[in-house]
Amino acid sequence: MNIHGLSALVTGGASGIGAGVARVLARAGAKVAILDRNAELAQATAAEIGGIAIACDVASDASVQQAVAAAQAAQGAARILVNCAGIDTARKIASRKTGAHPIGPMQRVIDVNLVGTLSCCAHASHAMLDLAPLDADGERGVLINIASVAAFNAPNGQSVYAASKAGVVGATLPMARDLARYGIRVMTIAPGLFDTPLAGTMDDAMTGQVLRQVLFPKRKGRPDEIGALVQHICENQMLNAATIRIDAGLF
Amino acid sequence: MKLEGVAAFLTGGASGLGAATARVLAEAGAIVALLDRDMVLAEPLAKELGGVAVKCDVADHDSLKAAVQQACAAIGPPRIAVNFAGIDVSRKIASRSQGPHPIASMQREININVIGTLDGCALFAEQMMNLEPFEDGERGVLINIASGAAFNGPPGQAAYAASKRAVAGATLPLARDLAPYGIRVMTIAPGFFKTPLASSVDDKHIDKLIAMVPFPKRWGDPREIGELVKHICQNRMLNGETIQIDGAMR
Repeated sequence: MNIHGLSALVTGGASGIGAGVARVLARAGAKVAILDRNAELAQATAAEIGGIAIACDVASDASVQQAVAAAQAAQGAARILVNCAGIDTARKIASRKTGAHPIGPMQRVIDVNLVGTLSCCAHASHAMLDLAPLDADGERGVLINIASVAAFNAPNGQSVYAASKAGVVGATLPMARDLARYGIRVMTIAPGLFDTPLAGTMDDAMTGQVLRQVLFPKRKGRPDEIGALVQHICENQMLNAATIRIDAGLF
Repeated sequence: MKLEGVAAFLTGGASGLGAATARVLAEAGAIVALLDRDMVLAEPLAKELGGVAVKCDVADHDSLKAAVQQACAAIGPPRIAVNFAGIDVSRKIASRSQGPHPIASMQREININVIGTLDGCALFAEQMMNLEPFEDGERGVLINIASGAAFNGPPGQAAYAASKRAVAGATLPLARDLAPYGIRVMTIAPGFFKTPLASSVDDKHIDKLIAMVPFPKRWGDPREIGELVKHICQNRMLNGETIQIDGAMR
C-alpha cells in the first residue's frame, strides 16, 4: 500500500520504538493516532508529528475498543496498526533469594504484551473488514506487531517477557490466515537491542554484555530503523505472515 | 548504506529476480554488474542500466573468480552482492515410474545453489573487506536468495529444498565470520514469483500454487524482491536473518 494519506494506529506510540514508528509514518504522509497509557507524553509526541493522541490501556479490551473507535471518528478507519505497546519485567522464574516469580507482574506482562496485542489486532482488523479495497489485489490493511528477539533467544530473568513475545510470533501466521480473505496482512518484527526507555532500564553492565554479542553494527538500534522497516512492510505487499528479526545479529 | 554510486554485483542478474533487482538498484543509483551464464540476456540489460555484463558459471570456481576480477576492474569492488543464480530440478527422490532421482542432477543443483552461493560470498567478501568503511564501519552487504521451499517444500523438491535450506542455514555463520569487517549477510526466502524459473511449471500446477497463497493471491512481482533487497541495503540493523516473502504461503 501507498501509506500517504492513510490512517494509522500506533500503540505505545508516545515513546521508544512506537514514537520512532509514528514519526516515520507521519513523515511518509500517514495520519497517525498515538494510543498510549501516558496521555501527556502521547500529546507531546502527537503534537510533534502532527498526529492525534488517544489515551489507551491495551490490557483493557474496552479501552482498546474505545480508542479504535475514537481514532476512526477523528481520522477515518485505520489501514495500518502497529502494536508497539509493551512492558518488560526482569526476574527469574524462581531463585533462593527472590523466591517464586510473583503472579501479579507475570499476569501483567502477558496481559499487556500478548493479550493486548491480540485485542488491538482484533478490534483494528474488525474495523478494516468492510473498508473499500485499496487496490486491484484487494488489500484493505496491514497489522504489524512488535515482538522481540527474546522470543527466540532470551537471557535468564526473561522467561515471562520471552513467553509473551513468543506468543506474538506464534499468533502471526494464524492471524494472517484468518484475515487473508479480507486482504489484511499480518507481520511481526522482532527487534534486538534498541535505544528506548524500556532498554534504558537495563544497567550499563548488562547493556555492555548484550552489545558484545551483537555482530554488526555494534550499537543500539535507533527507533527510526524500526520505523523504516514498518514502512517497507506496509509498502511491500508480498510480505505477509512472517516475523523479521532486526537485531544486528544478536543470537 | 546509501546506494548512490556504489557497485552492486548480482549473480543470475540477467533474468528473473536478479534482473528486476538490478533494475531497482540501478534506479536507486547503484552501478550494477550482472554475472550470468547467459550473455544474450545479460548484455542488453547491463547496457540499458548503465552497468556491465560478465559471463560467469557460479558452479565453476575459476569462472566465478575470473568474473569477480573482471567486474571489479570494470566498476570497482562490490559494496553489495546478491546471489540470485540458481536452478530448480523438480523430481521426486524416487518413484516407480521414474526410479531414483539421478545423482548428477542432484549434484548439479547443490553445486549451483549452495556451493555457488557460498563461493560467491567468499569471493565477494574478499573484495569488500579492504574497502574504506562507511558509517558505523560498514563495508558491504551480501544477500543470498533461498526459497519458501527451504521451510516448507512440496513433493518433487527434496534436492531444491535441501539446497535452499542450506543457504538459509549458512546465513548466521556467514554474518558471524564477516561482522569484524563490517559486512552484513542476509537471506531472502521468496515464495511464488513470476520468473522464468517458475514459468517452467505447467498452467494447471500454477493455478494450484496461486490458490495456496493466502494474500495477495497472485504471483509475486520480481520488483518486490528488488525493493526488499534495497531496504536491506539501507537498513543496517538487519543482519544474520532470513526474511520470508511469500504472501503468507506456508
